[in-house]
Amino acid sequence: MPHPQAVLLEAGDCLARVHDLVAQLAARDATGEVLTAVEHIPARQAEWAPMPAWVRPELVRAYCAKGIERLYTHQAAAAERVRARRNVVVVTPTASGKTICYNLPVINAVLENPDTRALYLFPTKALAQDQLAELDDLGRRLPDGFGVFTYDGDTPADARKSIRELGHLVLTNPDMLHTGILPHHTRWMRLFENLRYIVLDELHTYRGVFGSHLANVLRRLRRIARFYGSELQFICSSATIANPGELASRLIEAEVDVLDSNGAPAAEKFIIFYNPPIVNRYLGIRRSYINEASRVAQELLKRKLQTIVFANSRLHTEVLLTYLQRAHRQPPSQPEAIRGYRGGYLPSERREIERGLREGSIRGVVSTNALELGMDIGSLEAVVLAGYPGTIASTWQRAGRAGRRSGSSCAVLVASSAPLDQFIAKHPDYFFGRSPEHAFIQPDNLEILVNHLKCAAFELPLGVEEKFGEVDLPALAERLAEAGFLHRTGEHWHWTEEAYPADTISLRSVTSDNFVIIDIAGEPEVIGEVDFPSALTILHPHAIYLHQGQQYHVERLDFAEHKAYVKRVEVDYFTNAIRYTQVRVLEVAEHARVGPAPAARAYGDVLVRSQVVGFKKIKFFTHENVGAGKLELPENEMHTTAFWLTLERPLVESLPFPTSEKQNGMFGLLYALGSVATLLLMCDRGDLGTAIGERPPLSGTEAGWAVPLEEGATEQQGEFFEPNLYLYDAYPGGIGFSEPLYCRQDLLVRRTRELIAGCACERGCPSCVGPAGEKGEQAKKAALTILDELCRE
Amino acid sequence: MLPPDRFARLAALRPARKHEPVAPESTRESAAEPDALLGLLGARVKRNRYGEHLEVRQWFSRPEACAPSAPALDLLLREKPEHALDPTEWLFLDTETTGLAGGTGTYAFLVGLAWWEAGGLEVEQLFMRDHGEEHSLLLELSRRMGERRVLVTFNGKSFDWPLLETRFRMTRAIPPRLPRTHLDLLHPARQLWRLRLGSVRLRELERHVLGRDGVSLGWSRQDDIDSALIPQIYFDYLHSGRPESLVAVFRHNQMDLRGLAALAGRILALLGEPEAFARATADVLELYGLSRLLGRSGNAREARRLYERALQAGLPGEVDRAARRELAVLAKRERDYARATSLWEDLISGSNDGLEAYEQLAIYHEHHARQPTRAAEFTRRALAALGRARRAGLIEPARCRSFQARLEHRLARLARITQPPKHRSLLEPPPP
Repeated sequence: MPHPQAVLLEAGDCLARVHDLVAQLAARDATGEVLTAVEHIPARQAEWAPMPAWVRPELVRAYCAKGIERLYTHQAAAAERVRARRNVVVVTPTASGKTICYNLPVINAVLENPDTRALYLFPTKALAQDQLAELDDLGRRLPDGFGVFTYDGDTPADARKSIRELGHLVLTNPDMLHTGILPHHTRWMRLFENLRYIVLDELHTYRGVFGSHLANVLRRLRRIARFYGSELQFICSSATIANPGELASRLIEAEVDVLDSNGAPAAEKFIIFYNPPIVNRYLGIRRSYINEASRVAQELLKRKLQTIVFANSRLHTEVLLTYLQRAHRQPPSQPEAIRGYRGGYLPSERREIERGLREGSIRGVVSTNALELGMDIGSLEAVVLAGYPGTIASTWQRAGRAGRRSGSSCAVLVASSAPLDQFIAKHPDYFFGRSPEHAFIQPDNLEILVNHLKCAAFELPLGVEEKFGEVDLPALAERLAEAGFLHRTGEHWHWTEEAYPADTISLRSVTSDNFVIIDIAGEPEVIGEVDFPSALTILHPHAIYLHQGQQYHVERLDFAEHKAYVKRVEVDYFTNAIRYTQVRVLEVAEHARVGPAPAARAYGDVLVRSQVVGFKKIKFFTHENVGAGKLELPENEMHTTAFWLTLERPLVESLPFPTSEKQNGMFGLLYALGSVATLLLMCDRGDLGTAIGERPPLSGTEAGWAVPLEEGATEQQGEFFEPNLYLYDAYPGGIGFSEPLYCRQDLLVRRTRELIAGCACERGCPSCVGPAGEKGEQAKKAALTILDELCRE
Repeated sequence: MLPPDRFARLAALRPARKHEPVAPESTRESAAEPDALLGLLGARVKRNRYGEHLEVRQWFSRPEACAPSAPALDLLLREKPEHALDPTEWLFLDTETTGLAGGTGTYAFLVGLAWWEAGGLEVEQLFMRDHGEEHSLLLELSRRMGERRVLVTFNGKSFDWPLLETRFRMTRAIPPRLPRTHLDLLHPARQLWRLRLGSVRLRELERHVLGRDGVSLGWSRQDDIDSALIPQIYFDYLHSGRPESLVAVFRHNQMDLRGLAALAGRILALLGEPEAFARATADVLELYGLSRLLGRSGNAREARRLYERALQAGLPGEVDRAARRELAVLAKRERDYARATSLWEDLISGSNDGLEAYEQLAIYHEHHARQPTRAAEFTRRALAALGRARRAGLIEPARCRSFQARLEHRLARLARITQPPKHRSLLEPPPP
């Protein structure tokens, strides 16, 4: 039942309200510095193609009954390629009917031969559920139907057996394939013996760590399919990125046809870039983007436009939710019209919110990226992005949550003062032009590969002649045997451990352990879960943890038991953790001079130690620092790869600044280098870590430990003799960023210089070298001087 | 290529546990002294078209052979095939594996088989000296299973057999021979003795059920190994080639098979004459267990009689409640509403059963006694009890919600029956 309010709103009315908002925002922007882009994307017409002649009549009838009598050109093209036994990747925007691209040929094949089996992989369980509903609907319209099931952690045990036998289409996710299906492939014999199609949806999400893991899971999948004599064909779909074909072929290690023309129609849409006004030109301070995003969202809600607000962190989701709920007070008897949505909420809570959005009883939702993909939440009318999501692909996907079906819609990107946001806000062409983003994976990351090699050996003994990625398999298998994991008999290595290797290997992160959050104010109650890496920064003792707009004070963090005990409180601040990082060089892979400058560049293996040592209390609304505390939490250690620049003694000495300002300049430079690097590598800010340390006298020696150095620690340290500026991969084993950075060092340094030199601030700001107050008076100037040296011809 | 020491830094290569130091050759030495293993175990080499494996055979006078009785099998098996009555068709099976997790990387390195022979028990153990001998072992197992059609195990339905089925399928050559009849004694043992013993591990059953009343088993578990160590013993043997510690594993497997056979004898005897057993047993919990098993196997009349007897003899609090609940269900099924209702009334006072009892009484009064007012009253009391249980955290939220929905639905229906719709004036204020 749609909400009565929702029924009242007609499409034409919606158009007027969107135009009204755009006009009003433009009118307020006297200087023209705020709305850096108002892009009107006109409606586009559909391009049609007839249903291919080979499609079975009952399937044609079933699609007709759903109102689909002909196809968009890209759907027809995809179906034909699949029919021709090619691997394909279909690149289309949100709401372009991509599911027909794979469902049509796959179901047709099942109707032609009922033994045919297909495995659909979605990055999340929720997306699989979404697809199930659509496929069920199609199945009901076919005389004989077909078996379609989701298979994930929520599948009841008694249903699993029949799914293994009867499922023509099994919808699952990479994690379940990894832990639930491949290690038990004999139970899935019927499926594997007849497996023909693998559908990989939302392919662009398989980048970085997750993508590198998936490539290995697919190696294992192909291995098992071969064991049962099956040849696999892959059908992939991806959001717009620069290298979908390359990504797909690296993932499946085979040739792939790219289909990137789009025949689907689209409604009119506005994309607006909103750069918060500068309030202090001297310090380069802009109005808080969180407050501004909240204000924009309120304008939209005031116009009765159903709105989704995306924030980039859990913390900001909760902060924004608090603001919007306060501005949109409901009488106590009414259900809340503005809701939060993120990973930590319980599934039932999330289903309820999705329903509320579809029905219109919920007028606004504040979400993390959890609502970015798939998930039928109906057609919203407006999207607010509080901060740039980090990639262009994900910005388009989030913007696509508005106007999936209805007429006019708008998406407003509110830029933060982070360098990447400022870069995008000031270079709209970069965004609206051809996608420059490359998705990157490193399937041969040894740490990841060895873990999957263990799983592979568990699934099927490893043969001496076998290939698994680009590694020396016999050498690696011998090492695994020495460590007791394998035993060689004749031509094969067999698994010799009691433990089940897939169980301890998470595809998404370094560890698979979650922390449970327990409210102990009254009867102990579990209110949510947080993954291990986040736990240290958001659940440390005295942290303010936010959940559904409620504040909780962390009383105790039980590390051994993975539990955080919290009590509900009401305070006017939130907390931010302070982290120290140390880097030690273990092995230099390559090194070279940086032009004629007294500087060097290198990349190689490093050991990174980090520790959360304290926290700051930040006041709501004003965001002033209202206190701090020290913490003693366990250290985290990891081996990874890093790229680094060494500033040699003559360079450091030549800088015409006092010692402390030299240091500030280095931190500022590193800050900017990190930002530009994420742009070049198309990775998330969290994928790269930064640190400064003294250049070790000899790599690999114990004395190589750097002084703990991170922002906020400057007062304790002495002068650097020859500092190393590190950019490290924030994952054990590295994810392959260091070598490209080393190769593109010149571009990295030049772009960084452009970023800092082109920034409007006087003495450094969060958009270039970091906030002036924290970085010191001359940080910007010092950073630029170092860059001038590094760029010398 | 990667420098060799790069491997050393990989977290993924760090052993999860301590290992026996591996011999420099890193391959087994048993090839050099094959007789050591054979002599130690009293084994011989078996050969077939897939290669070879080891076989150990031994006859034991205890436990004594026994014959399955028809009434007992009626209670134990849903279908009662003719061949199940023939003791020569019985094959006892127990495996020793490289882990409990299951999955395609878990191996059954020792498959113990046993059958009645010459008044005692013949035990045959099939062993693979390394993974290369698995095919040959499985072929032999498949032959044995073809000779005897009743597979008898302890927890074999969810562990041993699925694992072996996986092993067979991994060969892609020897199809798994599905047991015609599979009798898993874990389930009846659980029903009979879990309450009394807390756990029904085979070892506990040997000590408290099979070996009681001064009857000795004929074997002693005193020097037996902890079964949790078995996978590691096999891995150490594979890596080092030293067979000494394997002897204890073979012995453990033999005792498990003998325990299994003895347990079969005991359960058959017991179920063959439940009346006699009920009279003889001094243990009221065992009597309750037997009633439960009879009830679950569809022998409602016998079960009711024994339940009543157990209740009379006096059961401890929680068990008494459970017995009344089971008995009430059986009585209801046999349309003895008077007895069922009186039992539900007995149960009302308690916390969680109270909920069910209220609901059952509501059902009874709505549909059988046709007293909707009383039914509504019981429903309201059920809702109140549910509220208490929820606040006390005694009931899971999901179960609580479905329970509540069901009760509210019933209450609404009853309200329609008991209160014919009253025509209210539109001007009248709505009820509070």
